[in-house]
Parts: sequence; structure tokens; C-alpha cells
Amino acid sequence: MAESLPLVKGTLDILVLKALSWTPMHGFEITAWLEERSGGALGVQDSALYQALHRLEERGLTSADWGVTANNQRARYYKLTRAGRAHLATETAQWVRYADTVTGILTTAAGPT
Amino acid sequence: MTPREIRPGIRRLFRLAVRRPAESAGEMDDEIRLHIALRTEQLIARGCTPDDARAEAEARFGLADHARRTLHDSAMHRETRMDRLDRLDALRQDLRYALRGLRRNPGFAAIAALTLALGIGANTAIFSVVDAVMLRSLPVQRPDQLVQVAMGSGGGSDEFSNPLWEALRDRQDAFSGMFALANRTFDLAGGGETRPVEGTFVSGGFFDVLGVREIAGRVLHSADDHRGCAPVAVLSNGFWERAYGGDAAAIGKTIVLNGHPFEIVGVADPAFTGIEVGRAVQLYAPLCAKAIVDGGDGELDERHAWFLRIIARRRDGLTIEDARARLAALAPAVFAAGAPSGMSADDQREFLANELTARPASTGYSAMRSTYRTALLALMAVVGLVLLIACANVANLLLARAVTRQREIAIRLAIGARRGRLVRQLFTESALLALIGGALGLLFARWASGILVSLLASRDTTVWLDLSLDGRVLAFTLAAATTTALLFGLAPAWRATRVDLHSAMTTGDRAAGVGRRRFTTVKTLVVAQIALSLVLLLGAGLMLSTFRTLTTLDPGFEREGVLLTSVDLRSSKFTDEQLRATTRDMLERVRATPGVRSASASTLTPISGAGWNGEVEVDGYTPKGRKDAMVFFNAVSDDFFSTLGTRVLAGRDFDAHDVAGAPEVAVVNEAVARKFFRGANPVGQRIGIGGPDGQRTMTVIGLVRDAKYGSLREKTREIVYLPMAQERGFAPWINLEIRGSAAVSSLIPSVTAAIGAVNPSLTLAYTTLSAQVDASLARERLMATLSAFFGSLALVLAVIGLYGTMSYTLAQRRKEIGVRIALGAARSRVVRLVLGEIGRMLAFGVVIGGAMAYVATRWVTPFLFGITPADPVTWVVAMLTLAFAALAAGALPAWRAATADPMLAIRSE
Repeated sequence: MAESLPLVKGTLDILVLKALSWTPMHGFEITAWLEERSGGALGVQDSALYQALHRLEERGLTSADWGVTANNQRARYYKLTRAGRAHLATETAQWVRYADTVTGILTTAAGPT
Repeated sequence: MTPREIRPGIRRLFRLAVRRPAESAGEMDDEIRLHIALRTEQLIARGCTPDDARAEAEARFGLADHARRTLHDSAMHRETRMDRLDRLDALRQDLRYALRGLRRNPGFAAIAALTLALGIGANTAIFSVVDAVMLRSLPVQRPDQLVQVAMGSGGGSDEFSNPLWEALRDRQDAFSGMFALANRTFDLAGGGETRPVEGTFVSGGFFDVLGVREIAGRVLHSADDHRGCAPVAVLSNGFWERAYGGDAAAIGKTIVLNGHPFEIVGVADPAFTGIEVGRAVQLYAPLCAKAIVDGGDGELDERHAWFLRIIARRRDGLTIEDARARLAALAPAVFAAGAPSGMSADDQREFLANELTARPASTGYSAMRSTYRTALLALMAVVGLVLLIACANVANLLLARAVTRQREIAIRLAIGARRGRLVRQLFTESALLALIGGALGLLFARWASGILVSLLASRDTTVWLDLSLDGRVLAFTLAAATTTALLFGLAPAWRATRVDLHSAMTTGDRAAGVGRRRFTTVKTLVVAQIALSLVLLLGAGLMLSTFRTLTTLDPGFEREGVLLTSVDLRSSKFTDEQLRATTRDMLERVRATPGVRSASASTLTPISGAGWNGEVEVDGYTPKGRKDAMVFFNAVSDDFFSTLGTRVLAGRDFDAHDVAGAPEVAVVNEAVARKFFRGANPVGQRIGIGGPDGQRTMTVIGLVRDAKYGSLREKTREIVYLPMAQERGFAPWINLEIRGSAAVSSLIPSVTAAIGAVNPSLTLAYTTLSAQVDASLARERLMATLSAFFGSLALVLAVIGLYGTMSYTLAQRRKEIGVRIALGAARSRVVRLVLGEIGRMLAFGVVIGGAMAYVATRWVTPFLFGITPADPVTWVVAMLTLAFAALAAGALPAWRAATADPMLAIRSE
């Protein structure tokens, strides 16, 4: 596996919410989705993901039900609640603005001093 | 389905038990297992061998690094958090449901909340006075450390002479500080009518021991308190603001107290309101300044003058028992140092054997507390009963309402709602009502407790109580509201959910079996209300009768139309001779004042609270002991009896010839004649009394009617009147009694002028005899007013309850009554049926209430005068009032039921 980027603190939660915004998923599906989307560039510790899921469920941003996978395995499916969807929207907007600002500063040539 | 397979959404919806730790850990393991399995598959698909894939999957999960345990914990944490949220959610839901229920039925909500507000408010009002008078700690540092030093082992006197105080102060070592104080009402006028201001003489340690600071200038310290000290004073914040507008320039100004200039040196902290509950002290002067105000040594070296109270602060770590032990050890030396001179050997031995003890003084001390303690506790019981009646009312309303909701509840039970959940939901509504009632009650109490305090005061006495809300009062109100909710809410909620599903949903609005049971509950509550109301009505009747008896009894004098003037002589330093001359001149001038019918002077006035007693010797009467020879005295001028309206039955009144040097004479009342002269005419007989100058013998020249002396409640006392002109060693004030032809208060300016013409430096305080008598009845007035008020409130609540109950039960029986009428029953029979039912409840209530009242009798007896608790008139009146009210409450619903169109009633479903 290629050298992976360390995750900026707090971004895992939004990424998980984003993943769930398409469809309910179980834990491994979320991991796989993240790996696929980032092209393997983001290093997400498996256990950290589950802790994030607990956190989100606790805050009412996701809810979880037991279901069955396509291969008939019992799995815990997480889905976005209405609050989770709203949270994702605001967090995304904020993240984009933040990233743009930081990028803007970092990529501007330093002026003469 | 095992609990594990229940979907969380469902679990939450139906409030199923939260998963146990083991379950939550098991679920987490399932998730991990699946994750590892899928990862392994993924890795195999990418070309790893199965073994490598498995190892890689486990490594990525971090199973080697306690990942499993961490996840178990975090899963557990989530469970507890979510459970808490669920509960909160449920509460919110219950509240929303309750609010919706109340809003849908605003009439019910308003009546219930108001009923509770009255009940809780009355309790809070009385409690806030109880709190202020008995419970509240002094607004000083560490009030728990304060103790009051007292004599004797229990209930002993708490007043000390200054030499005793100094002896104790100089010897004590168990206290970090100690101070003495004496109340004094100062006069600001310096001649003419007094302008009284409540003050206190305090020893030097007062402010420092209490830890009270100044907000302007300085407070008093030990350096201010020494013999021959400078006249300085510290003002209370209230007085500073009222008299000086809170101006800092007041510091350094002079204030004239009883004609003596004092320098204002500072203002005490506004939070400090004195250490005597009920008395608002306006200014403090050092104890040594008593010599300036009173002249001479100011009784500071007087071993017979008992006027100081002593408060001390325990050292850290010393318990009150330690303090008591130290005081007990110090007592012999202290009493030896402060023993009054000129005592008989027996008296001296008795004096030296006195003990010193300490009692907790965290709430200060209060003359008011002892007067009103039992009264306040009795009132607390009364308002408690009122609250019970209010609860019964609201419970009945709730029960009635439950019927209209019966079908809704049945449906919810049928679709699987658990009963406990429904009970909780219904109960939330009650709790909400109680809280609303409590909040309104608090407002009501703020207003009512002010009125209550004004009832404690009378025209001549002001009562000052700190009624600001404190934690204790709030906690009390909250507790009252909660208890109330439990009392009126739980049973109806429980009952409401006990429905027979089938009948509730198929037949209309009543289910036979349940209905009967419900009626029983409702009727029980009504009976309870009637019983409690009877108790309160009886109490009110007894208190009113007591008050009426006291205000209308013949006290042996005419209470109306007499102006009383108290002349303070303390700063005038008159000799006996000068005093007699001044008294004579004053009377002469006052009698000549237009509008004055007659005037007299005396040492004491009736019902003033002051007394003067001593032993007499009468030939032919052998006393059974010292107490048996005791009579009460008063020294009076001529015309005293005619001015007060006390008839002279035999012999004559004092006259201008009964002066010093003339034969000594006395007038006695009937009680003296009865007791000491066995009913014979005492005129011409001789009577001996002891005095400072030895035994004196006087001839009885007159017999007067019995009159009340110290209080209206007292049994007739033996009174011996002595002529003022023959008395020596006078009390430092005299009283004038002035009977006028018109409203006596209008005489004040002309009387002031008349006395001012004799000596402009005399200070005068006015009241009327009727006001003085009224002031002595403050407690009785309070009890009568409040018990009448609460009795009426109870009656009104009970009537509302009965009316509501009858309307409701009759509405339930509309069809049955319709059928009866349709079948030919006379309408009067229906009315009789209804009234008969009320009569039965009334009878039950009266029997139970009567029994309760009989038990409560013991309690009220001390408050009563001229009536026994079993007074038949009071009982009959109370029962008739109750019966009349109950029948009136039932009449309207009965009439409505009887005149309803039977066809409409029968077809109603």
C-alpha cells in the first residue's frame, strides 16, 4: 500500500457522514468506500472508524440497525439521520471555505519583505 | 425474537430495556468479525494467501493493540449516552403531551392551577414567615458559631447586669469573641412629642465578633467602649438612607438622642439587619454611652439592673458542649464578682449557685419568636389542611377528565402502550400543573406574607421581618408542589389506566364496573374535603369567638375615649418633691385644656405589659406561702378611676389631701376584698406592705371594681392602688390618662402644648387606651383573621369540589335518570335522590371531621379564651354552614338533572 496521508483531526466524522449520505452502509463498506474514493491516499485506522461511528450515533447524527449483507451475513448498517444530513451540509461548507482560505495563503508567492 | 434482534428504533419507541454491557460487547464483536472477514476476502481477491490476508486484516484493525477493548468501551459509552437521551426525549414527549392536554382544556387547567396556587401559596406565605421568624440564620459571618449566654440550666434568664457581663468578659477563654447588648428606643425630638428610633447599646466587640463591616465611615470597636467614652453612633443602612438620603456627609454630623448630642461615625453594612428577629435596629451606640443618656453611671455599676444580653462566638473546633463546660466552670467566679450587695444570706447563696450555660444563637434571639411560635405552627397545620383540600379538588377534576379520555387511553393500551408509560404520561400532566400552581403560589405568597406581617404589627408596634426569598423557601415551595403532584396526580393516573378495554371501546363513555369504583374514589375525596373543611371551620369559629370575647369583654375600665401619654423623666433628674409638683402642674394644665373631660396620672396603665407586684399583710389572713400573699400594685393620682371608667363601689377615691405626710391610704379592688377580707367591706381596714423603707401600713379608703391589669386573658388579679402623692423612689416615667369629649387623638397638640408649658424638656409618647389593648391582642387577631380566611377558603374549595363532583356524576347517570323520569318518576324524587346522596357524603364527612377536630382540640386550647373546644354553638354553626354550602353546591346540578328532557338523555348515545 502506498504511503498514506495522515488524517486531519476531525475530518473522519465528515467523511463518514459523506459516505453514508449515498446509502446506508456497514462498517467495512464505509472503509472500502473511503479507500476507493481517496485512491488509498487516506490512512484510516479501522478501529478509529468504529469509534467515529459510535460518536456519531451518540450525537444522533447517524442511527444503526442490524441487517443482512448481499452474502447473507449479519451486519450493523449505519444510516444518516436528518440531523446528520444537516450537519454534513454545514460542515462541508465550512470545510471547503477553510481549505480554500488555507490553500490561497499557502499557494500565493511570498511578497518581498 | 431475542432482545438482541429488536431494532433499536423499535426498542426506543417502546422503551424496551437498554442492552446490557455483555450484549453491547457481543454486538461489537460481531461487527469486528464481519469486518475482518470482509477485509480478508478483499485482500485474497488482490492476491494474498488466505493466511497472510487474515493476519494483515487483523493487524490493520489493531487487534493486537487492545482495539477490541477500546471499541467495547466506546460502544458501552454510546449505549449509556443514548439511553440518557432516550429518557430526556421521553420526558420532552411527556411534557409536550401534557401541555397539549392542558391547552385543549384551558378551563380545567386554569381552575386546577389556581386551586393549587392558592393552596401552595398559602403554605409558602406562612412558611416564609416561619422561616423569617424561626429558621433563618443571622446575616453575619459563620452564624453557626454564635451562642447566647444564659443563666441557669434551662429556660433561665438571659439578662445580665453590667458587672456580671464585665466579670464574664474578663474571664472567658472558650470564645473567640463576646459582646453584650441592650435594646433602647431613643427619642430624636428632645422635648414635646417623641420621635422614637429603635436603637441598641452594644459593647465594643459587637461588630467585630459578628464580622459586620461598614459601608461608610466606620463601625464601633473595642476602643469605643470604655467608661467615660465619647458619644458616638453607627447608623443602620436603612436609617441612613431614610434620614440622610444615604449622603456620606452624614458621617461626622451630630444626632441628638434623648437630648444628648452623638457623633455619627459610620453606617453598617446593608446586609446586616440586626440580631433580633422582628426588630429593625436603626442605630447603635457604645454601651458606655448609656451613662451619658441615662445620667449618673447609667446603671453600669448597678448590680441590681438586669438589662444586658450576651452573645459569644465559639472558637474554631470547640463544640457547644465544650463552651457549656467552660461557662459552667467559670460561673462561680463570675457570680461572686458580680453579686448584688445587700442580699439576705439565703438569697446570696441562691445567687452564687447560679449556673451559666450557652444556647445556639445562629438565628439570633427574638421576643417575637416565643410569642408567635405556636401560633405560626398552628397556622402551618391549617394551611396544610387547605392544601389537602385543594389536592382533593384537583384529584377529582382529574378523575372526571379521565373519563372523557377513557377511549383514548383504551386505544393506546390496545395498540401496545405499556401501562406504566401511560401512568407516567398522565402524571407528567399533574406534575406540570403542580409546578404551574407552585409558581403562581410563589407570587401569591410574596403578596400574602406582606399582609401577614402587617397583621402581626399593630398601631404602636412595628414588626420588621426579612421576607426575601431564600433557598429554604424556594425548596419548601418546590417540595410542596411535588408532594401535591404526588397526592393528587398519582391515584387518578393509576385509576385512569385501569380500563376494561372491551367495554371502554364498545360502549359509549362509561364502563359499568369501573364507573362504580371511580364514583367511590370521587366520593371518598369529597367526604375527605368535607371532613377537613369542618375541622377548619370549627377552628375558625373558635378563634373568632375568642377574639370577639376578648374585644367585647368588660375589662373593668372603658377602653374607648382615653388618650395615654407617657412622660419620660429619665433625663430630668427630678427629686420626689419636684416630681410631685410637676405631676400636679401637668394635671392641672391638662385638665384645663378644652376638650378634656378628666385626666389622671399613674405609674402603670392597664394592659401595658408592665407590672409591679409585692406581698401584703392583712390581719386575719394567713397566706399559704409567699406567692399567696402576692398582689399587684399601681400608684395613681386622684380621678384615675373616673377617667378610666372603673367604678368606685364603696368608700372614696384618692383626693388632694392624700399627700406625703398625711395618713397613708390605699384603694383595693373586689378581688382583694374577696381574698384577704373574705368578702367583707374592706373600707377602714388596714393593709401592710413591704418597701425599700421597711414595712408600711395603710388604711383602705375605697373599694373599686375588678379590672384587667396586664392582659385581657388574665384571671382577675388582686390589685392595690396607692396614691402617687405618697410614693417615694419613683419609676423614671409617669403616665397620664386623659378622657376627652371628642376623638382623643385630636387632643395631642393641645396636651403637648399644655405639658410643654410646665416643662419644655419633657418628652411625650402618645397612644390610646384602645390601641394599647388592641396591640395586646395582635396574636389573637392574627389567628382569628387567618383562620377565618382559611376556613372560608376551605369551604369555597369544598363547595367547588362538591359541585364539580355532582355535575359529573349526574352527567354520567343522565341516561338512567332519563329512564326513571320517562317511566314516571317524579322530578322531585330525582332531586331528593341527589340531595340524599349529598346528605350521605355530608354525614360521613361530618363524622370523620368531627373525630379529627376532637383530636386536634388539645392543640387549640391554649389559643382559646372564654370558650371550650367543645362549644356546642360553634359546632352547630360550623356544621350548618357546611350543610348549607353543600346543599347549595348540589342543588344546581340536581335541578339540571331533574329538568332535563328524558328523551334527549336517553337518545344521547
